[in-house]
Amino acid sequence: MNLILTNAGSYPRIGDSPELQVLRQTLARFDRGEASEADIRRAEDEMVRRAITEQIEAGLDVVTDGQIRWYDPISHLAGKLRGTKINGLLRYFDTNFYFRQPVIVDRLVRERPILLEEYRYARSVSSRPVKPVLTGPYTLAVFSLVERGEYRDLERRVEDYAAALAAEVAELAAEGVELIQVDEPAIVLEDAAFDLFAAGIRALAEAKGAARLALYISFGDVSTLYAQLQELPVDVLGLDFTYSPQLVERVAVEGSAKALGLGLIDGRNTKLEPEAEVTAALERLLPAIHSDVAYLNPSTGLEFLPRDRAFRKLRHLVTIGMRFKS
Amino acid sequence: MSREKLRALGIDLPLLPTTSVGSFPKPEELQRARAQWARGLISRDELERLERRATEFWIRTQEELGIDVLVDGEQYRGDMVTYFAENMRGFEIGGLVRSYGNRYYRKPIIVSEVRWERPITVPWWRFAQGLTTRPVKGMLTGPYTVMDWSFNEYYPDRRATCLALAREIRKEVEALIEAGARIIQIDEPALSVRPSELGLAREAMQIVTEGLPAYFISHACYGAFEKIYPDMLALPVDNFDLEMSNSNLDLLEHFKRFPFTKDLSFGVVDVHSHVIEDVETVVARIRQGLEVVPTEALWIDPDCGLKTRTVEEAIAKLRVIVEAVTRVRAALA
Ligand SMILES: [Zn+2]
Repeated sequence: MNLILTNAGSYPRIGDSPELQVLRQTLARFDRGEASEADIRRAEDEMVRRAITEQIEAGLDVVTDGQIRWYDPISHLAGKLRGTKINGLLRYFDTNFYFRQPVIVDRLVRERPILLEEYRYARSVSSRPVKPVLTGPYTLAVFSLVERGEYRDLERRVEDYAAALAAEVAELAAEGVELIQVDEPAIVLEDAAFDLFAAGIRALAEAKGAARLALYISFGDVSTLYAQLQELPVDVLGLDFTYSPQLVERVAVEGSAKALGLGLIDGRNTKLEPEAEVTAALERLLPAIHSDVAYLNPSTGLEFLPRDRAFRKLRHLVTIGMRFKS
Repeated sequence: MSREKLRALGIDLPLLPTTSVGSFPKPEELQRARAQWARGLISRDELERLERRATEFWIRTQEELGIDVLVDGEQYRGDMVTYFAENMRGFEIGGLVRSYGNRYYRKPIIVSEVRWERPITVPWWRFAQGLTTRPVKGMLTGPYTVMDWSFNEYYPDRRATCLALAREIRKEVEALIEAGARIIQIDEPALSVRPSELGLAREAMQIVTEGLPAYFISHACYGAFEKIYPDMLALPVDNFDLEMSNSNLDLLEHFKRFPFTKDLSFGVVDVHSHVIEDVETVVARIRQGLEVVPTEALWIDPDCGLKTRTVEEAIAKLRVIVEAVTRVRAALA
């Protein structure tokens, strides 16, 4: 079994030293009319490069671009489609982070690629494989407000977001991306509609070509959904173990036909988890995974932590993960 | 009802008492001074002199507007959790974390046992109350919110963290009461974040307030209250201060189904909008409130702290509240 060490999405876009404040300052200057879009782009490039450098320095095998260019996990994608406008702030799950809620005002249409250029830049500055991350159709649909009649139907929203995102997935696959991550945290919400969520995932899976699709779910306990998730046409299932004391046992007992993304390192707290605990969980989990790979990653993106702590978390993850590398 | 409790505490308020949630904007002079202080360009004493001046300005302003229950305006605070973290033992102030868009804050880290060592807000409360004969609220952040908005490296879990904080925050409440505060507000904006933890928030609030001679208010905002109502009424406080106008008064529908059994500080102006509501709009909101909450139980204030508005906008919003309340009172008389 090959244990691959990776990130689950975002990386802090700011740090305490002046050179790590370049994006914040450029955005502030832009608001005052003193910087251009091109200046923002350059500052983003700079912070993407730093995010990738730090992930590689920490020892990850597969990195992300840190989602540095994302205003938030919802509006970065939904807001770039025709047919939406962006509304007020809403709390993102049980975090202290707020996203801008999209409002669907017209037919949802993807007019141009969103992630392809971002991916190309990240790959050009990385010596390790880059994993593009996108938020899934069900989560975008659940968090969208609706001003247009036919979209009051959640199914219709999922369908049209899925069509747009499938085009993104197809482009990334055609570009030669090996692994694409789709985040669908909204499936942990009370009253989630599993069928609609599954339909969205199926639409993306049909577009994945030769790429492997990783479905990541964070911010809640997925123990009761575990068997159903195994049925989905994805290659990797990413699980947040920080909410589910019993999830390790469930996976160990039920096994996994798929590769798993093991979110055993808490991406939301600065505390470094005792090595013995993580090691014990890995010893229970790895033999139950019937695949030639597994991934060890934080439970969520790392933007919830200060930069120095995010880096320390990754180092911690690598230290533990290295013991299981064949 | 709670009016008797207030009278027993020596506080007599008119119908529909007007108040504020807590923070007011810092005058430009104070904002500049904070930036200079952060860079070591002015002394702590100089900064405090300007903080006192700004506090005095806000006390005078509230008096002139005719607000009934005053706040000190929190001119000396940065963030509502970080302020307490900086003044209690057991916290470290961490690096920057994004809150949304291009906004960042320093999230505290609990690294050892949390301990209240000395009064935190009491000197400011004393100063503010010394400037006016109207009651000034004591203002604290509640244990559940401090827990939820801090990293925890010391306690085994959220529950242990929250209850430890509650025991220490109670000491600040006791100190405020000893100084003479009779109305104390304990903010819990994180209250609805995890509905399954409402019982924990209640237990913590019980530790903070139990048996203490004060009228307790708790402010919460921008959450999914429909998910914790009516269970949230079990929180041991006398008054809930809720953001209502930002959500189109949606909560009133829930109050129709399950009666609101506490006093309600009813947020009638949106604090995140530059637009100043007109008096008619606010009068209409108050009347809607009166349809579901007894007149004796209703207080009127903005949705949340006004610190993100300009000084002029904040004053204009407060003025509209006072004018609207004056009209409704006249109609009730
Ligand atoms: Zn508030």
